[in-house]
Amino acid sequence: MRKDESPKMALLQVDRLTKHFGGLTAAHDVSFHVDSREIVSLIGPNGAGKTTIFNLISGVYRPNSGDIRLGGESIAGLRPYDICRKGVGRTFQIMQPFPKMTVLENVVTSALFGRTPKVSMKTAEGEAAELCRLVGLGDKLKAYPKSLTVPDQKRTEIARALAVRPKLLLLDEVMSGLTPTETDEAIRLVLKLREAGSTILLIEHVMKVVMGISDRVIVLHHGEKISEGPPSRVVDDPKVIEAYLGKLVNEEGGTAC
Amino acid sequence: MGSSIRWKTTLPLGILSAFLLLFPKIVGSYFLHLAVSAILAMILASSWDILARTGQVSVGQAGLFGIGAYASALLYRKFSMPPVLGMLAGALIATAVSIFLGYLTLRLRGIYFSITTIAFAEALTVIWLMTPDITGGAMGVSTPPLFGGDREKAYYLILAALAAAVAVVRLIEKSRLNFAFTAIRENEEVANVLGINSTKYKVLAFMISAFFTGFAGGFYSHYNTYIIPYEVFNLGISIACLVIPIFGGLYTIAGPIIGTVLIKTIEEYLRVTFSYGHQIAYGLILVLVVLFMPEGLLGLWRGKILPLFRPHGTR
Repeated sequence: MRKDESPKMALLQVDRLTKHFGGLTAAHDVSFHVDSREIVSLIGPNGAGKTTIFNLISGVYRPNSGDIRLGGESIAGLRPYDICRKGVGRTFQIMQPFPKMTVLENVVTSALFGRTPKVSMKTAEGEAAELCRLVGLGDKLKAYPKSLTVPDQKRTEIARALAVRPKLLLLDEVMSGLTPTETDEAIRLVLKLREAGSTILLIEHVMKVVMGISDRVIVLHHGEKISEGPPSRVVDDPKVIEAYLGKLVNEEGGTAC
Repeated sequence: MGSSIRWKTTLPLGILSAFLLLFPKIVGSYFLHLAVSAILAMILASSWDILARTGQVSVGQAGLFGIGAYASALLYRKFSMPPVLGMLAGALIATAVSIFLGYLTLRLRGIYFSITTIAFAEALTVIWLMTPDITGGAMGVSTPPLFGGDREKAYYLILAALAAAVAVVRLIEKSRLNFAFTAIRENEEVANVLGINSTKYKVLAFMISAFFTGFAGGFYSHYNTYIIPYEVFNLGISIACLVIPIFGGLYTIAGPIIGTVLIKTIEEYLRVTFSYGHQIAYGLILVLVVLFMPEGLLGLWRGKILPLFRPHGTR
């Protein structure tokens, strides 16, 4: 198995990250890295600790031990807003657009506050509108989130995360709950983002997506990393099959939720 | 925003300003006094609403009001500071207190902040009673009438303060602060992840709120010529600060103003119809509003009344 230290400096380097909640260890000694312009998927059964890792990287939780470095600089334990301004954008598993703001206002908010140096209202509005078009919400700028379909709400979340101009984009299950056509659109969007220079770490349950777009896959189980590598190799890993994919096969290859 | 809409707001605003400026020339002393106390309430309500925009419910505005009142009264008594300067000093001292209190308590979310603010105002009463040498204790502090008792001047002063408060709220609404405040109110955790330092903005909102509340307190002490702890730190003031905007419509400029006009009218009517009637006004209104019009008068107007005058099928 390959070592975590890559020859060049990784954009994101997670070292022996551990987080306890009381007696429960949600993440145990997890190490991995994401290189610049890479798409890496974080997979694992429910409760494996995927979202915990996201929360640790984005500063929602503070790690009990271990380190997180973004472009070589440690961000472990910083406040979420500082981490965001250092270049980490994220979406939430349970979509949380601000309900009383329009789509555009939602995106403007993160353009205004998530970036360093700060930008003017006018710039923020212009960029937000452009991002909305990029994700396919160009005709829904004035709509309120509750009037949007699920995929459009997810698009809003993605646009909002992109508006901070992230060096690293964390996408938490942006494809779950989408129809196959919508999923294809979402995949195209993610690939488009990478082409535009984004580095993406995503949590995903939809195996079609994981296999299709990931450069590498990291598999978590009970808070520990059990496997890592290119998608094709990870699926053959007996440990992974036992922990995760085994169940999928029994369910006739559907998407586990 | 089209120019027709702009006209629709500037014209009534112009008429309203003219009316407010000429008001002392057309009414007698009693109505002028009512107007002064109504404008004072409008400032308090608007100030409370500024903080409420960040999702924080202060139930201790009386603490800031009392600090402003006492600061300017005591500064006058001990250093003969001119009243208007004293009011500004009171505003600044209340702001300073809000920074301290804010950094201590605004990390707390929701109900915990509210409870702390009640305790803050109540504690001040006790502190004041325990330190009569400095604060005057239960005997209170008296000052000579403001502007030698010239109510008209007092009216213009408090009207100017209201104009300043409204202008500040308007500036907030037009600036990036509006995005920060709304985001924090709607989902603080998400706001944080999007780069908003929520504690910082909540404290800022609290400071602005405290400034105008403190100024209003300073004005009150000089206008009223006499203050006692039980009155200026009274929970009733804190309650009025929140009932008025809830009644009128939250997170709006007009809400606290319309709310005040109606509440003061109801209060005054109840006062003259039966004794102590005005004291039930706030409780009664709060219950009715929460039950039947959660978005306040403005919400009722926009949601229920305005659509009646529009052709079917249009929005």
